[in-house]
Amino acid sequence: MRKITKLIMAGSLVVASVMAQPLDFSGYARTYLGVLTNDSLDYAINQNTFNLNIEKKMGNVGFLANATMYQYPNSDLNFDLSELYMDIFFDNMDLRLGRQMIIWGKADGVFITDIISPKDLGEFLLRDFDEIRTGVTSLKADYYLGNNTLEFVWIPTFTSTLMPDESSIWSRTPSFDLPVTIDYSQKEVRGKLENSEAFLKFSGMSSLIDYELMAGTMWDDDPTMHISPVMEEGNPQPLGLTLTPKHHRLNLFGGSFSTEIKGFVVRGEGAYYTGKQFSALNPMNNMAIDLLEKDYLHYLLGTDFNIGETRLSTQFIQRAILDYDDTIVQDEMDNMMTFLVNRTFLRETLTLQLFSYVGLNFEDALIRPTIAYDIADGFEILAGANIFYRNDDTDPPSIQEMFGYYDENDMVYLKLKYSF
Amino acid sequence: MTKIKTTMVFLLFAGLLFAQEMTGLDIMLKVYNRPTGDDMTANLTMTLENSRGDQRIREIKQFLKEMGDMDKKIMFFISPADVRNTSFMNWSYADENKNDDQWIYLPALKKVKRISSDSKSDYFMGSDFTYDDLGDRHPSQDTHTVLKEESIDGVDCYVVESIPKDEEYMYSRTVTWVVKDKWIGLKKEFYDEDEDFLKRLTLKEYKEFGDVIIITNVAMKNEQKNHQTEMKLSDVKINTGIADRQFTERMMKRGF
Repeated sequence: MRKITKLIMAGSLVVASVMAQPLDFSGYARTYLGVLTNDSLDYAINQNTFNLNIEKKMGNVGFLANATMYQYPNSDLNFDLSELYMDIFFDNMDLRLGRQMIIWGKADGVFITDIISPKDLGEFLLRDFDEIRTGVTSLKADYYLGNNTLEFVWIPTFTSTLMPDESSIWSRTPSFDLPVTIDYSQKEVRGKLENSEAFLKFSGMSSLIDYELMAGTMWDDDPTMHISPVMEEGNPQPLGLTLTPKHHRLNLFGGSFSTEIKGFVVRGEGAYYTGKQFSALNPMNNMAIDLLEKDYLHYLLGTDFNIGETRLSTQFIQRAILDYDDTIVQDEMDNMMTFLVNRTFLRETLTLQLFSYVGLNFEDALIRPTIAYDIADGFEILAGANIFYRNDDTDPPSIQEMFGYYDENDMVYLKLKYSF
Repeated sequence: MTKIKTTMVFLLFAGLLFAQEMTGLDIMLKVYNRPTGDDMTANLTMTLENSRGDQRIREIKQFLKEMGDMDKKIMFFISPADVRNTSFMNWSYADENKNDDQWIYLPALKKVKRISSDSKSDYFMGSDFTYDDLGDRHPSQDTHTVLKEESIDGVDCYVVESIPKDEEYMYSRTVTWVVKDKWIGLKKEFYDEDEDFLKRLTLKEYKEFGDVIIITNVAMKNEQKNHQTEMKLSDVKINTGIADRQFTERMMKRGF
């Protein structure tokens, strides 16, 4: 009882000390309109956003709340509490408790060791980087040894990747010749201690190299689809299929590095995953209804450099399934590249950028040109396009085509943003 | 007293009392090696003004420290709002052959990225100062000649022309007016690769902290494009004993 009283008193002191200082407000307002360039000319997105960041720091404690409201025409407000956490700073250690985003790794736009905060794929990969991840309630402890850091993260309750609604243009559903029923009864991971996730990272920063070594035990963010045929007695042919999404446990270890060699920043990142379930063809009916558990390797190598005032970056990414079985639906090796070209003009008020993902297996791509102009400090107008390219003419596109699958979703868009 | 090789061009504008009949190199070495304290904290305000007189303000909190044969600097961006909480860290080395190490923390990405320091000719935050203007260019990289002695508003100066040994350098030459008694640069002119006059740096204010001189206000005017940038230092603190751990990834993320 005395311990509890002390804890409450200590907590009250922390809160009181935090509240003694004025709050720091920042955020942005944004209006965003996107139009599909196919024959429909439908709006891909019509969104107004208000983001508010409230922060307070005082001595050895701090607090942050970040909330975003999304408004769509003829729709209720959507509210997202991205982050809400408290910080306690010690001489050689920091503690952060609450809903927070935790980003690891050296990759840009690719998730290899950056797997702690779940993703919001409601708009595929098109959201801004600060919106594509969602906060996760967790405890993060950092212990510092000079320029080295030992970081431990504990997530008591699993949160999965947010997928697009079934009616969304970004929804991605496997097609079957048979009627399909989806059973969500096993999708949830119960919140209990044995279902928690934990991660450990040791990182260092030096003149020669920056590096991270990490390991984790977690749930697969993307649910595995267990598929079972619906049979009728006396009929050898299935009447339909039942799809049961279910999350499976994964373990991984990996690392990343970044260094500069004669003006070129060279980056690498890799992770070895165990326990991943892959869809496989059933030899009896040649349908992708089986699952095989395999380990896989996911890694990238990239470089950033400048030519004159133009900033360039490229990455090669490979995912390799180990001990591959020919019945697995996915390719043994999945290769992708990214490219970035960025240049500013007019004293950094005008920015031209081209970012693209290129899938090498299916020769598909997502090409994202943008032009942004700072009308005044804090006011930005941005026009851009999302162009999905596929080289394969088969119809419908394969669900394995990461970008080509959305070939009909080419869009142009305009954003006006005020930051405060 | 050790010295800080700050990234601010102010430091090119101070010097030591010196003996007579110095060469151009002697003068620029004195300027380069002047005492600047062990560490410094300051608020930096940059005012960018275009040819129409429209102004944009950038505010930065910066910390600098000399650590043996390396200098460390960390900058926290305060405004404009869209770069708020961004931080930038630079480690520079006495070894001329060793490139600076640079990192940037982008709050939207929530991670620290190593960036290439091979972009010295880029302009810092859209200002009229290149990264190299703000750096600590070693005098051995140029050939220096004393052109003349000149008095400006009663202040006696040596006028030193510096021509880069590297023909690919962004300036074909610079001319610096170095104050004799204070060894502070009063102004500096920059000529582009075509040897046309490009821009002028003008000293507006300096402050003395014991034997340490810190330039607290300079303006750089691009005469070709008719826009300028004024840099002001305020709340300057010298030798406060900034801890080494101020210059780490932890502090880049946490802020000042």
